[in-house]
Amino acid sequence: MAQASIKAKPDQSDATWKTRFQEWWFRNRALIGFAFIFPWFAGFIIFDALPFIYNLYLSFTDYQIGTRGVPPWIGFENYIEIFTDDKLFGKSMYNTVYYLGFSVPLRLIFAFLVALILNLRVRGMELYRTLFYVPSVVPLVAATVIFAGFLNTRYGFLNQFLVLIGAAPVRWLSSPDAIKPSLILLSLWGFGGQMIIFLAGLQGIPEDLYEAAAIDGGTGWHRLLYITLPLMTPTIFFNLLLGLIGGFQIFEQVFILIGTNGGPLQAGLVYMLHVYNKAFRDFEFGYSAALSVILFLIIFVLTIMLVYTSNRWVFYGDAQDDDS
Amino acid sequence: MKLSPFVRLALALVMLFSVGLVPALAECDGEVIELEFMNWWGAAREVLMDTLIGHFEAENPCVKVINQVQPWDNRAELLATAAASSNPPGIIMSTRPETYQFAINGLIIPIDAFVEAHATDLSVFYDGEIGLQYWNGELYGLPMPTAGGLTGLMIYNKNLLRDAGFDPEDPPETWQELEEMAAAITVADAMGIDVLGAAAFGTDSEFVAWLYTNNGKYVTEDGRTLLFNSPEGLETLEWMLNLTNNVNHGTLNITDFFQDTAFAQGDHPFYEDKQAFLHINTSFFGHFNVNDPDGYADTESWGTMLRPYNGDNPDAHSAGTTGYNYSGAWAYTIPAVHPPEMQEAAFKFAEFIGVHPQGGCAFLFAQSRPSPVQECNENPAYYDVNPYWSVVLEGLALDTPVQITPVQGQLSEILSNNIAEAYHGVKSPADALNDAHAEMQELLDEFWAEFDAENM
Repeated sequence: MAQASIKAKPDQSDATWKTRFQEWWFRNRALIGFAFIFPWFAGFIIFDALPFIYNLYLSFTDYQIGTRGVPPWIGFENYIEIFTDDKLFGKSMYNTVYYLGFSVPLRLIFAFLVALILNLRVRGMELYRTLFYVPSVVPLVAATVIFAGFLNTRYGFLNQFLVLIGAAPVRWLSSPDAIKPSLILLSLWGFGGQMIIFLAGLQGIPEDLYEAAAIDGGTGWHRLLYITLPLMTPTIFFNLLLGLIGGFQIFEQVFILIGTNGGPLQAGLVYMLHVYNKAFRDFEFGYSAALSVILFLIIFVLTIMLVYTSNRWVFYGDAQDDDS
Repeated sequence: MKLSPFVRLALALVMLFSVGLVPALAECDGEVIELEFMNWWGAAREVLMDTLIGHFEAENPCVKVINQVQPWDNRAELLATAAASSNPPGIIMSTRPETYQFAINGLIIPIDAFVEAHATDLSVFYDGEIGLQYWNGELYGLPMPTAGGLTGLMIYNKNLLRDAGFDPEDPPETWQELEEMAAAITVADAMGIDVLGAAAFGTDSEFVAWLYTNNGKYVTEDGRTLLFNSPEGLETLEWMLNLTNNVNHGTLNITDFFQDTAFAQGDHPFYEDKQAFLHINTSFFGHFNVNDPDGYADTESWGTMLRPYNGDNPDAHSAGTTGYNYSGAWAYTIPAVHPPEMQEAAFKFAEFIGVHPQGGCAFLFAQSRPSPVQECNENPAYYDVNPYWSVVLEGLALDTPVQITPVQGQLSEILSNNIAEAYHGVKSPADALNDAHAEMQELLDEFWAEFDAENM
């Protein structure tokens, strides 16, 4: 008996400790949650929010390299100059929008089509999925250097192939007309990330919907058009949004392929190159900050518009229930 | 005289060490100052720089130089952030426009007081070299290597001249002769140019270099009025376009021909007997020697000449420019934020690089390239490591300094874009030059107005 009571005490004690701990945990769950997100939050404040606010402030100053103390406040002068006197603002924005206009839809379509194929139940599919995803883990700089050789007019694989089949070689990186299409072509390289998201979305579509469609005599085309596409719209929306935001900020590929001047006739001068040149070539950091604030506003407004219009074309699955 | 790479290397080493083997480090009887040296002397030059540092430390045991060689990629970004930081390197290697930019913003200090305190003899430099390092009457750095020899020299392939029926010992002296030879040598096929005679790139620095061989000028000596849209300028651009369109079948062929190549690497067409005339800077000899040692040793296969001039202009002559090109006129500048003892150490090192026989003199000799210190170039051993040394010196003597301002980067972009538009047929040569001139002069006037207002 004595032995039993001796044994029972620690059990009770354990139980009490556990209960107390659980109670404490429950009472302080919000605090604990905040503690877990604190590292990210601190990183966000230090590395994103504060630099953003400081950048916003700098955009209203004539901050030059080496300006000690408080940079001279010049109000909207930088913005006025950008919109009235900066020829390269319009040019770089046009080049960026041109790139976006083609690369974002093309990449979406390409990633979606590949995801559809990789969603088929065939043998060895895991291997194919890995193979298609591998390019996405190749560092962008390395991929771009490979592409530079690939697109070389005289010795590049692409032109050698074109000549082999009797077609005329293309001056991919030297002709002003071909630079943007070359960049768009290069953008397809990193489709793997979007593809994986599409693939996850496709696998989330309930099988019984396809079965029901098959029973009703729906063809493969019907299934794609009336089941797959509507149910994939949230994923398409997500990829579209990320694609647009990333596309506006295209920089490294162009920097490596054609240099900071943007290539012949500056046909490849994208917006971020212009921002970079103003900061690090001309040392006009205030002006450069203003350029980046404008880019932020464009992306922000576009995102809001997309989110707003998404109610009309993105199907989240619960809307029908609400209507009924 | 043919010398094997081994003999040349041995000669270089003898020269390096002839001025005294690196003595054992003396003990420092005070506090050792660590001097971070931000520079771009990478590749084969890094070892040479380490040797130079070794000599310096032997003479200055209280200064420890940390050789921080930087990658060329993102150079502007690295330099700007380092210079503007609160803890910049102890001494920074910068180009002339950057030096001016840092000077005008108070990031670096003038070194006149150090020069006076150390009784540094500036007269050892070529006037055109040391002159480029002054901004607003104050000296900000000592030069190394030369800014000269950047545009006035050309190297040519004797074999290609011989094969085309020309005397390889009689290179072209005028634009017209160059064009004739280039036309005979150039071979094009469906993929573009296979063998190139000569090229005149559609860039501002190329235009300015050719402009001076037509007795033209880029800017007035005070740097305030641009002069390039003169009849000489127009004639120059038209000739460049003729060469490009008539001989090379368009600017795209030239861009393609040089795609993914650099003479600092082994893949340049000149090393493969695919280019007859090449505009060089004086670093070429070292790169040639490293990348194609057999080719460099075979002096029957290549030669050096001065940049041809316009034979139709009686006032024109071979010429080069110094200090215009963005990558020219390097100096070693001292950040303003450091304490006086660090700045003193930095100056000692800058002075060693600049004027000491074991400094830039030996460093450049080992690369077969000239020094901004005249006396260094008079070393007869140069003729053993560079068989065309006399032409190099002749080229240096013909160089004309070009005045620039801290807004040179922007001016250069405007001129380059307009010339590119002429090359791509978007504008006539006259419109390109006039448009560029109007826009550039406005920017320059704005700069000087601000500058004068602040300095009155």
